[in-house]
Amino acid sequence: MARQLTPLGRILIVLCGLALIGYGLYRYGVFAKIADVLAPDKKAEGTVSKDDFGAVGPSTGASASTGGTGAAVKGGTRLDRPIKVAIVTWGGYAGGIVANGGFPPNKESLFYKDQGIEVELLVIDDFEKSRDAFRAGGDRGGVDIMWSTVDAFALEYGGLKKLNPKTILQYDWSRGGDAIAVDGSIKSVADLRGKKLACAEATPSHYFALYALTQGGLTNRDVQWVFTTSAVEAANVFKAGKVDAAVSWSPDVYIAARERPGAHILASTKEASNLIADIFVARGDFIEQHPEDLRRFVAGWLKGVDQANANPERTALLLSKSFSGIGLEDAKGMLQDVKLPNYAENRAFFSAQGMVANYHSIFKTAQGIWRRIGKVSEVFEPYQTVDTRFMEGAAEFFPAAGEVKPEFEFKAPPKSAAAPILTKTVSVYFPSGSSTLDENAKAVLETQVVELAATFGNAYMRIAGNTDSVGSRDANVRLSRARADAVTAFLVSKGFDRNKFEVVGNGPDKPVASNDTDEGRAKNRRTDFEVIPR
Amino acid sequence: MEIRQPLSNHKARGLALAGLGVFLGSWAILSYAEIIPNVILPSPTDVLKAFPMLHFEEALVRSAGWSIYRVTMGFVLSALAAIPLGLLMGTFPPVRHFFAPLFDPLRFLPISALVPLTIVWFGIEEMQKITFLFMGTFVYLLPLVVEAVESVDEVYLQTATTLGATKGQIVTQVLIPGSLPAIAEALRVMNGIGWTYVILAEVINARYGLGALITVAGKRSHVDQIFALVIVILVIGVVSDFLIRWINRRLFFWKA
Repeated sequence: MARQLTPLGRILIVLCGLALIGYGLYRYGVFAKIADVLAPDKKAEGTVSKDDFGAVGPSTGASASTGGTGAAVKGGTRLDRPIKVAIVTWGGYAGGIVANGGFPPNKESLFYKDQGIEVELLVIDDFEKSRDAFRAGGDRGGVDIMWSTVDAFALEYGGLKKLNPKTILQYDWSRGGDAIAVDGSIKSVADLRGKKLACAEATPSHYFALYALTQGGLTNRDVQWVFTTSAVEAANVFKAGKVDAAVSWSPDVYIAARERPGAHILASTKEASNLIADIFVARGDFIEQHPEDLRRFVAGWLKGVDQANANPERTALLLSKSFSGIGLEDAKGMLQDVKLPNYAENRAFFSAQGMVANYHSIFKTAQGIWRRIGKVSEVFEPYQTVDTRFMEGAAEFFPAAGEVKPEFEFKAPPKSAAAPILTKTVSVYFPSGSSTLDENAKAVLETQVVELAATFGNAYMRIAGNTDSVGSRDANVRLSRARADAVTAFLVSKGFDRNKFEVVGNGPDKPVASNDTDEGRAKNRRTDFEVIPR
Repeated sequence: MEIRQPLSNHKARGLALAGLGVFLGSWAILSYAEIIPNVILPSPTDVLKAFPMLHFEEALVRSAGWSIYRVTMGFVLSALAAIPLGLLMGTFPPVRHFFAPLFDPLRFLPISALVPLTIVWFGIEEMQKITFLFMGTFVYLLPLVVEAVESVDEVYLQTATTLGATKGQIVTQVLIPGSLPAIAEALRVMNGIGWTYVILAEVINARYGLGALITVAGKRSHVDQIFALVIVILVIGVVSDFLIRWINRRLFFWKA
């Protein structure tokens, strides 16, 4: 006689059955498959490596130039209100602040007296709010012109393209404004492997971090990213000791590095001088309706840059009076974190042939990086995102603007003891026993080294030739030295100062792999490019 | 329309739908006719199109799951802490006067100021996010619980005393059942407040999370995605609100 099951017993049996089925499903990955359908994970990030930077040919397509120089820009009407410009608390706006004599529109300014326009500078420190203001536009209580950086603009262009925004002016290079603060145990970029690195996601800090990592031989997958929503937050977690490194901006990053015991600054845009370019972007409808006002804005701003560069003391005083909460000493510091490019430097920056690190190359590289890590899906040609007519039209105001002078003077060669920020290892192929560069080797240098040397414009570079252990040591040392000399001569021919480079022939003395295998010997035949701070 | 005239369920639903319809209709007209430019106000189609992108590339469902987990944990923890303490404070005035200067001013605290503090104290993992949400809701919940206990009608207490109830009986038989419906209502409001903090809670190191997704969409100037994510948060908020209401009605039938 079978005994009747109690309700509790039935429930228990059902539960056991369900548990068994559930375990089976879990064990054979059915749950994971269902989860992938119902809740797919983020699109896998690609790997960003050193090959993603610098391997950019000259930009295709002509810039949106009309060819006319020095004349008024045709079309449109004149504006009957001040041009509204979104800025942040940052020294790079010194040119415009000098030209405007402060933030509010006024008739005493250089903008008005010299160019007949009025300009209103609006400090909007919150990134997203400044974008909201730009979307609204100057006629609807927002702004006509917003700040960006070339790398950030490459990221946000797709989202803004309905506004048809165009870059019209570069107002500064970040020179120390962005920096990487690290724990005392980290001496070079290579030491960051496996470490926790904090930065604000999808910002110039993130871009700077990717650049430094890849040039130092790592990829984006070699560190543990800790993303924050703002740069200040990144500096704070570093200061609190929750991460090993952080990329952030001045002054927060320097304060954090000073206040955390043992911490220091690994690298900053003081060395990586040509990486983060701050630019002004104008709305498409504004460009169409008031091009002449924009030409005058560009001319007035760059005249302000000349005055600001000629008179840093007075400029600092004006900055401290204008920005709230900024004292005179702070203002002087803010000016030291930037370089204000003048008219000639602006022209060179926007020409695809002008400088090695120019608008087109940086935009294209940045766009490629963001695309690789899944932050942009649509790509644009750099020339679509820039309008140089205003710059060209302003030529009449700068008759003396000639060639761009080399910005950095390298007097003494670097101290041999100085530790490099990062070491980029490149295999430059030479025929056996020869120290002559063939076309192939030149192409490798062009893509892998020229851009690095230009980006770290304000740092020395040690070029170290290395060989394997085959043959006599003396001959190898001589040969590696001769090869490093050949590489240096090639770089100098690209327009770099000879004093920027220190040449070293290591011969077989610094192997990175065993000389017992073919593979190891191939690894040892290499050229190291060490970036050394001043 | 008469003042406070009750409506039939049927009519109430109809009006709610009409309100929603008018809202959606004006959104559609304003955006499709480009009365407000699309870069400021994306059209309903733009927002709908953002969903597949968010689902397949940005892990929308996982992010929603993580955000629900964080908000719920913050909510449950603050309830566990605030309800017993609030009952004590509401029942015994000396306890209330002891804690009041500690907790009363906290309601004026700008909650964003807590972000750096919670990072320093609790690190950058889940602990920090949940603690932040806990602190954010606790300071509002506690006074509501105290108030719920205090607003139990004196008549019930006197009746119980007259009938010879002991102190313990008054608390367990009168004050707790009398205040629970109002406490449950307070919890429902707290769930809403928790969701308003979700962006702040996910400012740091959130691989998944609706708040984190909104921040990155903002950096990329994808207003359509921001709208889509806001809609997701609203839907989750409304559904959870509805659930809590339903549970409250079941549990506290005596206060219907």
